[in-house]
Amino acid sequence: MAIKRFTKMEYKNADEMVFGDAKYPISYGFGQKIGAGHVVPEINFAPRPEAAKNPETLTREYVDYITKDIMERAVTIGLPAVQLENEHVWQMVNEPKKFEKPVIIGQTAMIEKYHDEYGIATSIRHTIADPRLCEFGMREGQDKTHNYPEKVIEAAEIAAENGASLLSIESMGGKEMSDYGIMNGDIRAWLFGIGYLGALDMEWLWPQLVDICKKNKVVAGGDTNCAGANTSMFMAGGYLDKDVARTFAAVTRCIASTRTLIALECGATGPDKDCGYEGPILKAISGRPSAQEGKNCTCAHNDLMGNLTAQVCDLWSNESVEYHPEFGGSSVQCWLGSIGAEAMLMNAAKQMKQDKVLRDLYMATDRYRSPEAFCIAYDNAYTIGETIVEYGKDRYLRAKMAGLKAAELIQASAEKGAMKLSKQEKDTLNVIIRDLTACPDDEDKFVALCLKEYKNVPGFNPKNYGL
Amino acid sequence: MLDLKGIDYENVFVRYDIRMESKEKPETIAAKMLPKDAVLKKVAEDIVYMKHKDVVESVKVALKTMGPVDVIDKGLVKGMDIVGELYGRGIYYLPHIMLAAKAMENGVKECEKKMTTAHVTKGTAVMHVAEGDPHDIGKNIAATLLKSNGYSVVDMGRDVPVADVVAKVAEVKPCIVTGTALMTTTMSAFPKIAERLLEQGIELPFVCAGGAVNRVFVESYPLGVYADKAMQGAKLAEKAVDGWDYKKIRAHWDALMAGKE
Repeated sequence: MAIKRFTKMEYKNADEMVFGDAKYPISYGFGQKIGAGHVVPEINFAPRPEAAKNPETLTREYVDYITKDIMERAVTIGLPAVQLENEHVWQMVNEPKKFEKPVIIGQTAMIEKYHDEYGIATSIRHTIADPRLCEFGMREGQDKTHNYPEKVIEAAEIAAENGASLLSIESMGGKEMSDYGIMNGDIRAWLFGIGYLGALDMEWLWPQLVDICKKNKVVAGGDTNCAGANTSMFMAGGYLDKDVARTFAAVTRCIASTRTLIALECGATGPDKDCGYEGPILKAISGRPSAQEGKNCTCAHNDLMGNLTAQVCDLWSNESVEYHPEFGGSSVQCWLGSIGAEAMLMNAAKQMKQDKVLRDLYMATDRYRSPEAFCIAYDNAYTIGETIVEYGKDRYLRAKMAGLKAAELIQASAEKGAMKLSKQEKDTLNVIIRDLTACPDDEDKFVALCLKEYKNVPGFNPKNYGL
Repeated sequence: MLDLKGIDYENVFVRYDIRMESKEKPETIAAKMLPKDAVLKKVAEDIVYMKHKDVVESVKVALKTMGPVDVIDKGLVKGMDIVGELYGRGIYYLPHIMLAAKAMENGVKECEKKMTTAHVTKGTAVMHVAEGDPHDIGKNIAATLLKSNGYSVVDMGRDVPVADVVAKVAEVKPCIVTGTALMTTTMSAFPKIAERLLEQGIELPFVCAGGAVNRVFVESYPLGVYADKAMQGAKLAEKAVDGWDYKKIRAHWDALMAGKE
């Protein structure tokens, strides 16, 4: 399948972008429309530790407890639409026929039943687990111990054949190198890991997923660089965390956007994954709907941009919560209430034609709380998108230039006194600009340099990427 | 876009990290802690300033006048102590520690060439990531930190089956075994490991950590000791070497993590 690179922006300018509307809305599931004038809450969940004991216990947990609880609460609080996301646990990809299939069939039947009974628009995103291990092999035929590359594809097929409305994955390509980059503060290694190796992995994986989706008439959603950019973001953390500089996390996020974009270039249509905080950049470039998460996902993690991330979302998610009881019901019911209320606020704003005002309030609140928030503020996300499409045909160079543009935007704002930076953030930013500038523009030269420099990084095997 | 000029961000959020930023330079703090002996000082400085190539030469010079154990204990370890101090004060970040640990490793290797018997480490940790879980950055950071604190590490990697962990612990007889997991369904391997270790009569602290892992869960099964951050590994290993069992570590956990014990 040909990969169609983005070489122009689908939005004419940043101000065109707003939550609840995408250039290319999409319909799927049971009456679900995304990016078509309203925001839909997307509820995500994790089973309790012992639930995966056998297929029966796992199916009961996902279908009879989690899905039923969600649908009951969605109707109870009057949501017009809800999307579920099942991020598959390892058992579902390791033995997909046994563990995955009954869960998918059961969940689909349950959401269809509520749609039929109440008219509520429902859909379910199935996010395939990616347990591939670089030390064993990332492509078909390489991992003779686990056969994970083949199992990922099999799990996607089973999900598509048995009722998924939307298919996604959090793919792991390049993680061994990006982890090394984070641990050693080496932005060049990170660029190599995600901007190049991760991109190659996406180009191997996503054409296969899109084919499976087309064959089964399922929507191919998209990916996220959870494995790379979110690792940076979580380790950069908040104001008491001192492991990774937040300027490093900001730049990695923008590099990551070029890799996540490849799913769309391979034929995925969105909505992309909620934990891909690079979503605003992708939406600016592609016009595809975007799932995002923020202040209503504090059940899963903390961040410094909980309002800002709502600015241009089409689905609003809680990221994930373990199923357990709370005072207000089960955890999935409580967090559905939380994301549902926020979506209702956004939708009321749209009805009152105040959506751009609310968008700007979201954005303004967090714009200067962290360099990463600053970079994905919709105006800067658009600017970074413009840089990406300018070098759109060159998978490596656009990644380098996206990182450099992000660093320059932060630096320019800091010089004006708007974006405040700590000493560690400033020092790291200067090193990033120096190191990215020093990377050759030519892909072959860059790759030759990195293959020599990083050949001993644990787990790194060029064969995993067809090199 | 709305005009943002009217916003006084001091009334929206506070950058406590900038407000509390240390004004001291690493050199000032290091100067107070470096060894007095010029040769050992150079060894320690190469650790503090992450000179992983220079340190080999500095160690060679030191080995001309003193034994390898002294070079390790009075030079290299002293350097890592300073790195730990700088990290504790928020002046150094994780990459500084990783690069200093790399320098430490190079220095220790050079010392070991002069040893007639293998360098005696403080103890051994068997480390793994739970079966089905590919997320290993936390384990890798913890392994580096344990090594730079003088412990041997048997790193079993990620996605490791329960039986393999139990067999390795029986074979190596470490002071601690560690397990990390990001997901709720993979961390369910930890109680199984604890149960099988006890069935074989093996009792040692089983340090568990990771994204989905929490203290309540870890203390719900025997042997389990919770760790919140990779940095805590060395402290927990130290107590295990001192003979503390998992019950005693649990009882003192809050004080240990607060640095009071």
